[in-house]
Amino acid sequence: MSLKPYLTAVRRTLTAAMCVENFSSQIVEKHNKPEVEVRASKELLLTPILISRNDKEKVLIESSINSVRISIAVKQADDLEKILCHKFTRFMTMRAENFLILRRTPIEGYDISFLITNFHIEQMYKHKIVDFVIHFMEEIDRELSEMKLSVNARARTCAEEFLKRF
Amino acid sequence: MILLEVNNRILEETLNNKIRNALSGHRPESTDVIIADFDGVLFHVSNLSGDKSKLRISILLNYYKQLQEHGADELLKREYGSHLTTPETGFNVSVLVDLKDLPEDWENLVKKIGLLKRYCFDSVFEKYFDFQEQGVEEKMAVIHYREEETMCIKATNDRVTVVFSTLFKNVDDMVIGKMFLQELKEGRRASHTAPQVLFNHREPPRELQDSDAAVNSCVGYITFILFPQHTNKESRKNTIDMILMFRDYLHYHIKCSKVYIHSRMRTKTSEFLKILNRARSEPKNVEKKTITGRTFIRKE
Amino acid sequence: MTEAHNFEANAISCHAWNKDGKEVAFCPSNNDVHVYKRTPGGWKVHEILQKHDLRVMGLDWAPNTNRIVTCSADRNAYVWTQGEDGKWIPAWVLLRTNRAATCVKWSPQENKFAVGTGDRVISVCHFASENNWWVSKHIKRPLRSTVTCLDWHPDNQVLVAGSTDYKVRVFSAYIKDMEEAPERGAWGCQPNLGSLLAEFPNSPNGGGWVHAVAFSPCGNKICWVAHNSSICVADATKGNTVVRLFTEHLPFTSCIWVGSNSIIAGGHSCMPLLYSVDDNGQIYFVSNLDSMQKKETSGISAMRKFQSLDRQARTESSEDNLDSIHQNTITSIRKLSPTEFSTSSLDGQLVLWDLKLLENSIAGLKIV
Repeated sequence: MSLKPYLTAVRRTLTAAMCVENFSSQIVEKHNKPEVEVRASKELLLTPILISRNDKEKVLIESSINSVRISIAVKQADDLEKILCHKFTRFMTMRAENFLILRRTPIEGYDISFLITNFHIEQMYKHKIVDFVIHFMEEIDRELSEMKLSVNARARTCAEEFLKRF
Repeated sequence: MILLEVNNRILEETLNNKIRNALSGHRPESTDVIIADFDGVLFHVSNLSGDKSKLRISILLNYYKQLQEHGADELLKREYGSHLTTPETGFNVSVLVDLKDLPEDWENLVKKIGLLKRYCFDSVFEKYFDFQEQGVEEKMAVIHYREEETMCIKATNDRVTVVFSTLFKNVDDMVIGKMFLQELKEGRRASHTAPQVLFNHREPPRELQDSDAAVNSCVGYITFILFPQHTNKESRKNTIDMILMFRDYLHYHIKCSKVYIHSRMRTKTSEFLKILNRARSEPKNVEKKTITGRTFIRKE
Repeated sequence: MTEAHNFEANAISCHAWNKDGKEVAFCPSNNDVHVYKRTPGGWKVHEILQKHDLRVMGLDWAPNTNRIVTCSADRNAYVWTQGEDGKWIPAWVLLRTNRAATCVKWSPQENKFAVGTGDRVISVCHFASENNWWVSKHIKRPLRSTVTCLDWHPDNQVLVAGSTDYKVRVFSAYIKDMEEAPERGAWGCQPNLGSLLAEFPNSPNGGGWVHAVAFSPCGNKICWVAHNSSICVADATKGNTVVRLFTEHLPFTSCIWVGSNSIIAGGHSCMPLLYSVDDNGQIYFVSNLDSMQKKETSGISAMRKFQSLDRQARTESSEDNLDSIHQNTITSIRKLSPTEFSTSSLDGQLVLWDLKLLENSIAGLKIV
């Protein structure tokens, strides 16, 4: 699948999945926790949706009555892209406080997860959160390959400069 | 700065200052400087038994013993001659400079002292380069120049093989390092005079089997194959410089790459944050106080 | 045609009007309820009702007896009456539930109110004057999940409730101690509190949390909206048949009747939409009441421009806003007068809509 229809599918699905509302726990009194994380009341969860572009790039969207969890698997073609991706997502999660919607640990099998609750929707415009997630998905691929290219370029120059001196 | 220097610039500058100071007739000050170099090497510049006009430069190499086996002492004697003195306790080699009795070409002397570390290593290379010239096959020399890292050197009649085993601290370094070494392997095409460079990781090359060189799953092995064109008397000085610099050069650039990646990620992350901020609803009617306590409402 | 008001609140979760529409009470998605008065110089805060420990989930304003009832996630409800000095005085109501109270509604005669809870219970409360407190009686069976919405039948005796188990149920809300035995209505007659009169699954194969329910003005029809983006009407005079319309919009969170056959629904799509029921009982889409709003882009100040560059890395001045007045989910729709209604949303706006003026401006719009 080319990138555009993939992102369109993610955008549409996210827009629908982000219809969340304030909801207090049915299990514990005076608690209000993201049901998509608690997973204690089955009736409050929606069927998760997996959108894959290929076996490496995919998005898992899990929704519930008061929260959505979005997990993204980023394309990693080789070892270097793998560590770059890992470093990058870790770097971002270390700033999870600023990112608000970033989940501190990704869901297993994915590189990064976002957790959006009704409280976030009350502070932020829903459609712009969707914009952000799409922007992130567009940019992360580009950024990783650019970083890889520049490391490669440096390696080549270093090697050439070194060997030239003999 | 793409290439690293073989000499120790701080040491040179320290000495230059002291000597210039002495030459312009100022009273010598007491000296006690410790300078660190790559691979855990330490320099110590101090006054010999309290005499401020006598500068003693000492070097500590943890693996000096191994170098001695290959004639380091003789080589140093040849290079530094009368300036060599009894080693300071806790150090391996000491060189003495008398500020009251400076040679004419003191600048050359300072340069040479700056290369002290290199000259300590020099003997091993010279010895094996000579072996190669004479066509003598000799048991491989192994220098443990860092903890868990070794340099092995071996001569056959047509070539000298230098194998570095270098430790990558983590997987990230290893992956970036592999990329650099891959380029080194391929880079020979661009420059015909360069020696052949081989790279293995995890599996040590044949030369290292049954030697006490470091073997470890996080270790990479870099082999330089030096031909007579590199080891002959004219070019050997340069070859030794390059080989000695190599390990630090590699790791320096791996670190630089990581720094670069890091700063790029920082920029991108803050850009992402700004995009996310677009989703935030603007605070309404920001009421602020001036320093005098007056209230004002910012109008958009 | 429409008036948008901002009350310095980030998100309005629910609101209610007093009788003459000069005062409004709303909850800015926290523990308080703000009461505002309309003055010639704009809206002025009248009082902030602070009594709940957790977020206020529902509030209702009884027009004739001028009382406000609020309920909250802290499991409590308060009935607020206005003292002679105009101050609101709270009276605590013991709901006897162990989970959040989610919604509350006065009965048409204003002598009872019903509270839906997360405890799978509806509390129907009335005032016991001999003890001088509010007594609550429970409707339990066959509720199996959180009650999310409620509405009273105009006859004051029947209650409809929607819940997260994807069902809408009609109960008798008759309280023996305080009122005459009910006459037989369209939904049947059961002289016991909590008797189940009807039960409708939201969709034939289950699914879809029910977000809002409403009795039609005559009380014979029930409209509800649910998370599967459907809008449904059940008619008691037609043997409780259910008509469903699956819409292309995001789910609705609120619905009201305007006229005997017209429904306004709004929710995650951020626009109020008008639907009608035709003579055959089918639901059809009439009009998007927000469709003709043209956004006028106001000029951008230099300071604003730098601010947006610095905080949001945005260079162009155009805002990528939604093509609607509300920029975030509509949380509740209230009727203000026979021809006016209001919508509140998570972007902090309260918008008043005049149906008479809308009717004139939208071709073919007729409210029946």
